[in-house]
Amino acid sequence: MANQEEVQKKKEKIKEPDITFFHPDILEVPEDGSLPFLKGFKCKKCGGLDFKTDICMDCWGEEFEMIPLSRTGKVYSFSDIYIGQQGLKTPYVFAYVDLPEGLRIFAQLDGEVESFKCDEEVKLTVGPIRMNNDNLPIMSYKFKKI
Amino acid sequence: MKLQRDVYIAGVAETKFGKRTVDYDGLGREAAFKALKASNIDRPDMVGSAYVGNATNGFVTGQTVFKNLGMCGHLPIINVESACSAGGMAVYSAIKDVATGLNDLSIGVGCENHTMHRQTGAAFSAAMSDIEAMHGAVMTGKYAMRATRYMHETGATIEDLALITVKNRRHATHNPNAWFKGDISVEEIVNSRMVAYPLTLQQCCGIADGGAAVVVGTLEMMKKLKIDKPVKVAGAVVESGPYHNRPRDITGDDITETTSAALYEESGIGPEDVDILELHDAFTISELLYYECMGICPKGDGLKFLRDGQSTYGGKCVVSPRGGMLSYGHPIGASGVAQIVQNVMQLRGECGGYQVGPTPKVAMSHVTGGGLSGTEHAACTMHMLVKGW
Repeated sequence: MANQEEVQKKKEKIKEPDITFFHPDILEVPEDGSLPFLKGFKCKKCGGLDFKTDICMDCWGEEFEMIPLSRTGKVYSFSDIYIGQQGLKTPYVFAYVDLPEGLRIFAQLDGEVESFKCDEEVKLTVGPIRMNNDNLPIMSYKFKKI
Repeated sequence: MKLQRDVYIAGVAETKFGKRTVDYDGLGREAAFKALKASNIDRPDMVGSAYVGNATNGFVTGQTVFKNLGMCGHLPIINVESACSAGGMAVYSAIKDVATGLNDLSIGVGCENHTMHRQTGAAFSAAMSDIEAMHGAVMTGKYAMRATRYMHETGATIEDLALITVKNRRHATHNPNAWFKGDISVEEIVNSRMVAYPLTLQQCCGIADGGAAVVVGTLEMMKKLKIDKPVKVAGAVVESGPYHNRPRDITGDDITETTSAALYEESGIGPEDVDILELHDAFTISELLYYECMGICPKGDGLKFLRDGQSTYGGKCVVSPRGGMLSYGHPIGASGVAQIVQNVMQLRGECGGYQVGPTPKVAMSHVTGGGLSGTEHAACTMHMLVKGW
């Protein structure tokens, strides 16, 4: 019986989602229910700001201070995708969103096709970006209309 | 690269492009054998090295191409991969071998068969380790964002973009190796299926199969092989795409701007002297932007340049005279080599019904490759060729 239980456990383990949040090192969803934010990493050597990285691309510094990034940004450009990646349900919308800190983020936009414009303000949200191998949603950062 | 000695092109060849039932190695072999024979090479042990561009067909692709020609065992065969720049980079590497004195004779091949190996109905993307790919990025969409922004900034319309397809398909009309060719109306292009707004199906290169090959060597070798019209390599440049997460102007293209500037400096030939140009017209928007990026016309004048007929036969610089990728389709490892093959044929006046007149003296080619997060393109390869006889 014990052996059977173990087999059952193993099976269950396989069914656990392989990823729930993609890149938790970039996206913080506070457990206290406060609003999620993207994390910037400021190089302690040169002060340059980037997303999570192990090595500063400007000076090769290896120590960083975490800075919460703005929750709103501007759509620099976007596209409504009708033929997308294999396994992704279409249509979907993606964009480059420019944050006031001088960082550009590629992300999916939550909303309908034919509804977004360049230079439109959007705000951070969290939602499914695709399904994992177990057909469970992979959650990550997205942007939506304000 | 700084060419340490002069490099010339001997024989060139390409297969028919399109949906093919011959696999990549057969396409590469057909092109390579034809190019070798066109170089008056008559035995398997004469070529010093081979570089084979392929992006998706697996391992030891080059050896698979050459084994049935009896060449394996006689020369080093090096496989080159950089997505759409793979083929251009293979020719670059062959040129580098000759320029540095490693070999007097080398061959660059590009070949790819997509249609036998990939499912239809999905677009190309980077590997899932790429953060943008994980979020759903596809190459069509990344180009589409450039088009969206370009339209936003300049007031251009989808109808304007469609003019690129109209021009390139018309150029291909009499080209036997092109896939899609002949008259197509703006209306037909705009009303074709939406792929990634604002790019409709007829504004995207077809997913195609094909092969192409270019034999390069020293001037002495050209004489020995009795090559009538050796084409001289005036410059060859490969760059990797600058990477950063900061805002950049995507109505320009940083890597194309720096690569073309390096090529102009290296060759001593400016954009005003380029007679014909094969560029990375994988999508309509890219050709339009690249006119400006390469300085073929002033920044902001791309659409005017097109409308005025300056990029077609009779214009200042005939862009995509073979019909470009919008007519050939884009077997990603092969395209960069096919551009060079066609440029050589144009310089030699061998293009029959689509020959540019008067016969061009300077031909430039350009392929970018790959779209990782933080770059517009992972790679860019450009070549400048001139009449060498």
